[in-house]
Amino acid sequence: MDVSQYLEIFLDETREHLQNLNTAFLDLEQDPENAETVNEIFRAAHSLKGMAGTMGYKRMQALTHHMENVFSEVRNGTVKIKPNMVDILFQCLDALEEYTANIQESSDEGTNENQAIIKLLNDCLNGGSGGAAEEEAPEVEEAAAPEAPSSLSESKWDEIALDDAQRHVMLEAVKQGRKVYGITVKVQESCILKAARSFLVFKAVEEGGEIVVSSPSVQDIEDEKFDLDFTFIAVSESPLDKLLTEIKNVSEIEDAVGAEMTIAEEEEETPEPTPAPQKAATVSNPPAKAAPAKVAEEAKPEQGAKQEKKGNAKAVGNRTVRVDIEKLDVLMNLVSELIIAKNSLVSASTQNGGESNAAVDSQIEYLENVTTSLHESVMKVRMVPIESVVNKFPRMIRDLSKKLNKKMELQMSGEETELDRTVVDEIGDPLMHLLRNSADHGLESAEERREREKPEVGSIFLNAYQDGNNVIIEVGDDGNGIDVDSVRNKAIERGTISPEQAVNMSDKEIIDLLFLPSFSTAKEITDVSGRGVGLDVVKSKIEMLGGEVEVKTKLGVGSTWTIRLPLTLAIIQALMVEVGGEKYAISLNTVTTIENIAPSEVKLVQSEEVIHLRGTVIPLIRLNEVLDIESTRKAHENMVVAIVKKGDKLAGLVVDSLMGQQEIVIKSLGKFIGKNKIISGATILGDGEVALILDVNVLI
Amino acid sequence: MEELKTSGGTIQFIVIRVGDEQYGIDIKYVDNIIHVFSITRVPKVASYVKGVINVRGEVIPVMDIRTKMGLAPAERTRDTRIVIIKSEQQGYVGLIVDAVREVVTLEVDYIEKMSYDRTGKDMFVTGVGKHQGGLISLLDLNEVLAE
Repeated sequence: MDVSQYLEIFLDETREHLQNLNTAFLDLEQDPENAETVNEIFRAAHSLKGMAGTMGYKRMQALTHHMENVFSEVRNGTVKIKPNMVDILFQCLDALEEYTANIQESSDEGTNENQAIIKLLNDCLNGGSGGAAEEEAPEVEEAAAPEAPSSLSESKWDEIALDDAQRHVMLEAVKQGRKVYGITVKVQESCILKAARSFLVFKAVEEGGEIVVSSPSVQDIEDEKFDLDFTFIAVSESPLDKLLTEIKNVSEIEDAVGAEMTIAEEEEETPEPTPAPQKAATVSNPPAKAAPAKVAEEAKPEQGAKQEKKGNAKAVGNRTVRVDIEKLDVLMNLVSELIIAKNSLVSASTQNGGESNAAVDSQIEYLENVTTSLHESVMKVRMVPIESVVNKFPRMIRDLSKKLNKKMELQMSGEETELDRTVVDEIGDPLMHLLRNSADHGLESAEERREREKPEVGSIFLNAYQDGNNVIIEVGDDGNGIDVDSVRNKAIERGTISPEQAVNMSDKEIIDLLFLPSFSTAKEITDVSGRGVGLDVVKSKIEMLGGEVEVKTKLGVGSTWTIRLPLTLAIIQALMVEVGGEKYAISLNTVTTIENIAPSEVKLVQSEEVIHLRGTVIPLIRLNEVLDIESTRKAHENMVVAIVKKGDKLAGLVVDSLMGQQEIVIKSLGKFIGKNKIISGATILGDGEVALILDVNVLI
Repeated sequence: MEELKTSGGTIQFIVIRVGDEQYGIDIKYVDNIIHVFSITRVPKVASYVKGVINVRGEVIPVMDIRTKMGLAPAERTRDTRIVIIKSEQQGYVGLIVDAVREVVTLEVDYIEKMSYDRTGKDMFVTGVGKHQGGLISLLDLNEVLAE
C-alpha cells in the first residue's frame, strides 16, 4: 500500500498524540492513581501503535506496543505506577519523538530498535502479571490485519462498530431492565420505496424502544444508500418475537431476523487487553474503521463520557482545513499588493487637483475598509496559539529539576495567546533559554532557599498575554535575581567598561551589558552572576522578530524577563512624517501623542534637549540630525514633536511635518543594507516611491 | 551569433560603460536593466550605497559602481542605467552604471584570467575578454558587492 500521501496526516496526528502523552505523563507523576490519565495514555499509545503499524513503521509499532502492554496492566490494577516508571516512559517518549523526527526527514523511522527501553518496559510488567505480552501478541496481529470480509451471516449486528456513547446507552438500558437486540431486516427485491419501508420499520421498533445504531447509518438508509438489507441494534421493552413480527408486518419486507445481545458490564474483571474497541474509539485513526468491534469485548462504561467528548471534538475538527503555510504566505503577499494598489488609488484621487468626486471618494473609503478587514482576516488565519511551543516546557523543567537536583515548578498562563505563525516558530528557542537560565542560575539551592525563608520548591513562571498590538511573554523565577554589583565588577575586570563609566551607569544599564555577545559567551560570568548564557542570542532573535526583551530583577527576590512581540510582521498602521523633504514611516502603536512645541520650551538637562510635558520630562530626538539631513524648518518656528514610547520610556521625535496615518506594507531593505540600525524596513507609497520605516526602539 | 549562444563553450555578457572603460557582467546574474528614477536615500550606510528603489513592488538597494571603484561621481545622463543583479549572497542589488552598451557572446577560450594580485580598479575584474578587436574587463560581482 502506498502510504506516502498519508504521511503528513500521520506526522500531524503522531505529534498530537506525543504531546498528549507528554502532558499525561506529567499528570501521572503528580497523581499516579488517576484512572482517567492512565486511560488516556493507554488510548494514545494504542492509537500510535495502530498508526505506526498502518504506515509500516515496525520499530515504532513495537515500542508503542510494549508501552500499551504496560498501561493495559496498569489499567487493570496489576501494575502500579512507580516514580522510576515515569522516567522510563519519558525515555520512551523521547525515542518516539526521534522516530517521528526521522520519519519527517526521510520518511524512514531509522534503525534504532530501542531494545533497552523495551526491556525496561517489560521489567515494569514483570513486577505485575507476567506473560501479558504474549497474551496480547496474537491480538495485535488481528488488529493490524485488514478488515475481515463482512459475511452475510445472520449475526451481522455483531459487526457494527459501537462508540462508547452508544455502548453507554445500551448499558443503561440493560440496567433499566430493557433488552438489547441486534436485528437484520431484508426488503423485497421488488421494493421500490426502500427508504419508506425502512422508515416504517424504524417507526415500528421505536414504538417500544429506540434504535441505538444502524448499519448503514440512518442517513444512508433514508437516502436509500443500501442494498437490500440493513442492520441495527435497538433497545426495547418488547420481546424479540413481537418486535420481529411487527417488522415483518410492514409491507414489502421479506424477512427480519434478530437475537438478543449481551453487553459485558464488568469489563474490569476481564483483564484481557482489548485492542479492538480502542480502535473503534479512535475515530481519527484510519484502521479504526476497519477493525470490527466485538460488543462483548467493549471497554469500560465509565470511558463513555470521555469518548463522547472526543467525538464532539472530532466533529468540530471536521470543519477545519489544513492549509500549507506557503499558500497563506502567497495570500498575505497578495493582500500586501492590494493595499499598495489601494494606496496608489488614494494618492491618485487626492492629486487630481481640487476636484474631488464624492462617489469616487466614498468608494475608495469603502475599498479601504475592505482591504483593512481582509488584511485582518488573513492575519488571523496565520495566527496560532503559542501552546504548541510552550507545551514542551513542563517536561523540560521536570528534567532540569532532576538533573540540577533542585525542586521547581513551572506555572504557565496564557498558552492560548495567538501570534503570527512565523513568530511562533521562532520564539521557542529564546523562551527555552530564559527558562533554563531561571532553572539553572536563577533559582537557589534548597538550603539557600530555606535560609531565605522561601518555599522549598522554586517557582518559575511563563505568562503570555496580548497588549494592544503586541504580545507580551513574561518569563521569570522567584530565585536570586541578578547581582548587579558582580556584573559591574566583572564588566570592569573584562574591560567592557571603564571604572569611571561604571560609576555613572545605572543598574539597568549594567544589566543591559548581559545582552552583549562578548559578555554572555564568557563562562566565568555565569559562575559569578549566574546569568548570561546565550542572552545575546535571545536578544538578537527577538529583535529579528521585531520584538524587544527587557529584564526586571531584584536581588534575592527574583527576575522577570519581558518579551514584547508585534502581532504581525507584514502590515502595520504607520504615522507618515516628513524630515528634510524625505518621507519616513513610524509605527503608529509606538506614538502616543503629537505635540506642537515652541523652541522656547526646549530646556537643556545634562546638555541634552528635553521638554516638559504635563509633568513629565521627555528627551527630544531631532530626527534630521539622526538622519543626516537639513531640516526644512527654521529654528524659530514651532516644532512638530511625535511623542513615542518604548516600554515605560518616552521620547519626542522632532519632525518637519506630518503627512498623516497610513496602512503600510513592510518590506525588507535587502541583505545588502541589512544591518541598518535605525531603519527597520521600507515601504512602497501610493506614488511608487519608497519610504523608510524608522525603528523607534533603537532611537529611544 | 545564434549558434554561439547555444554552444557550451561560450558565455554571454552585458557590456556596460563606467567612465571610459567597458566592463562585462555575466548575463546569468542580470535580472533587469532599468532607467534611473527616484532613489530613496538610506541614512547611515556606506557612501557607495545610494539608497533603495521600487522595482515591481520590491524594495531593492542600489549602489553606485563609480563610487565603489573610487571614481568621481558622474552626473546622471540619458544613458545612465541601473542594472539589477541577482546575487546568491546579497539578493537583488542595483548597480548604477554610466551606460549599457550591448550583449556580447565570448568564447571561453578568448577570456584571459587575471592574475591574483589585483589592485585598484582591477580588484573588481576577474578576466579580460576579446571581442571584435576590443577588450572587455569582466566584472567580479562578488568583489563589487562585497562590503
